[in-house]
Amino acid sequence: MELAIETSGLTKRYGSLTAVNKLDLKVEPNTIHGFMGPNGAGKTTTIKVLVGLLKPDGGAVKVLGQEVRGDRPDVRLRMGYMPELPKFPKHLKGWELLDIYGEMYGMTTQERKEQIPRLLEMVGLRGRERDLLGKYSKGMQQRLGIAQALLDEPELVILDEPSLGLDPVGMVEVRELVKGIAKEGVTVFISSHLLFEVEQICSHVTIIHRGVSLVSDTLQNVSSKLSGPATLHVEVTKLSEGIVEAVKKLPFVSNLTQEGNTLMIELKTSDDVRPQVSQEITKSGGVIVSMNQKGRTLEEVFMQLVTKSQGG
Amino acid sequence: MSGVKNKEVRTNPSWTTRFLAVVRYELLWDIRKKKFLGMVIVAFVFATLGLALPVILSNMVGQSVGPNPDYAVSSGAGSLGFFLFALVTAMNSISGEFESGTIVPLLTKPVSRTMVFLGKLFAAFIILFATYVVLFVYTTIGGTIVYGPQNNLQLVPLTLIGNILSTFVWVAIVLAIGSLSKSSLIAALGTFGIFIALFISAPIVSVFSEQAWVLTYLPGSGATGVSGSVSQGQGMVPTKSISTGTDNIAANLINYILYPSMNVTFYKISGFQPGQSPQILYEEPISLVLATSIAVAFTYILAFLLISWYALKRAQVLE
Repeated sequence: MELAIETSGLTKRYGSLTAVNKLDLKVEPNTIHGFMGPNGAGKTTTIKVLVGLLKPDGGAVKVLGQEVRGDRPDVRLRMGYMPELPKFPKHLKGWELLDIYGEMYGMTTQERKEQIPRLLEMVGLRGRERDLLGKYSKGMQQRLGIAQALLDEPELVILDEPSLGLDPVGMVEVRELVKGIAKEGVTVFISSHLLFEVEQICSHVTIIHRGVSLVSDTLQNVSSKLSGPATLHVEVTKLSEGIVEAVKKLPFVSNLTQEGNTLMIELKTSDDVRPQVSQEITKSGGVIVSMNQKGRTLEEVFMQLVTKSQGG
Repeated sequence: MSGVKNKEVRTNPSWTTRFLAVVRYELLWDIRKKKFLGMVIVAFVFATLGLALPVILSNMVGQSVGPNPDYAVSSGAGSLGFFLFALVTAMNSISGEFESGTIVPLLTKPVSRTMVFLGKLFAAFIILFATYVVLFVYTTIGGTIVYGPQNNLQLVPLTLIGNILSTFVWVAIVLAIGSLSKSSLIAALGTFGIFIALFISAPIVSVFSEQAWVLTYLPGSGATGVSGSVSQGQGMVPTKSISTGTDNIAANLINYILYPSMNVTFYKISGFQPGQSPQILYEEPISLVLATSIAVAFTYILAFLLISWYALKRAQVLE
């Protein structure tokens, strides 16, 4: 299956600074792929290369199966892009902007008449489309940025920090919007520094730091691979020495600590072993009140990777 | 989404539709610019003053205004007008997009950078053409009211074309500096510097040096000479000041059509002693003066537009 985005050895330098260093990126179609990294990691630079705003100094870039080299309007015809904190001509009205951009995509008058109100409704700008963009707030410009990225029902949508500058309600709405787009079969490549946002909406994730890809996989794999074995928290009534000893003997238990009536069981595996633990405790006469298997959050994984990359 | 089917048909949208979208984008921007609207108002104020002042002054001395059948055909925005119109139309056109960040969404649409450039250029042409047409209509009607029936009105469109060509020399310069610097301020100041340097130096070089010919090949008001030779079969051509240069294409077009055998003599003033006559430097037929100024204008327009296009084509959007 053709990849939505594929870079190999992508390198971009600003003078002596290497912003993106031999980046290999693969974005599968029909996924929501999170692109994470601290400020200055090279996220926006990578995206600007993908959309043709910057020329790479090395490596190859393919978007929707087509090589991005030079000015490629035919590639851009199939994708939508929302820049970080988008800026639009303040002399134009919201409707005019979308109408003109629609014409640039070659949309017919009828298509624009149908699509623009739908998008304005979707991003919550209905009623403000006749206002000049100079009167739009930062949040409204952000919403318009999303609308213009979706204008021609693209196969690939690239969103650079779509929640930046939005209030909490707006952030939730954007997340729902992104989920909705993906359900339509659109590939979404989303750059974000908000880890919980990526965790909530993305199926795949790439973490970069100092222009280098640290990890790229499904969100689940990234979490489990990097967080190592999970910890099981089991609350038991009448916790006895017998129960503790029985659990300790289980082959997948690496360490066990006790806090009140709760056992904190560190596992050697990331598999779900709750049935075996439950069986052993019950057999030893314990009654389980609650049991939670905890993996590390994406935030913890992210911090681990970035710290490691910094040599910490 | 319902549009996917339609999109399959639209894998290669028409060049014209996308080009006109860029033109519309630029036109809407242009006509809503405060400085452009201000410039149009100023131009109308000056056009009105040009019509009304002679009437007012004549009335003050108790005389009536004499007829001037060539008023409409000889009117134009003038060197400063060309420069200012070019400045307000083009100074933000490319550099302003970079400064405001609006270049990012624009260049990520399915339009090539060449199309963006050509669209902006075409919009500048339309806006200048429309403004000049309105100004010429206003001047022609006003001239007829104030100075009586006008001659050679069929030549007014030629004046219009000449003025647009003159303005486009400055448009090309503004665009080139703006595209290279990505700064509207540098574009405005740089072009103003060139304009003012030529505006001040041209008359001095033209009259006091033997290198007046150099001005013919520079943008601006050019070298100044005098007509007045006797032309065979056409009687005496009235003595008038004739300037070469890209700012005088319209005037020279009219001169050429009305007096095709006119010769222009260029002089150098060597001193101011009584009885000392100016030294004749050289003489050229009006046809050569006109052809040279048109060729020079086209050369500058093409050269600077090429620089501007190349700068946009190669530009990397960092911010």
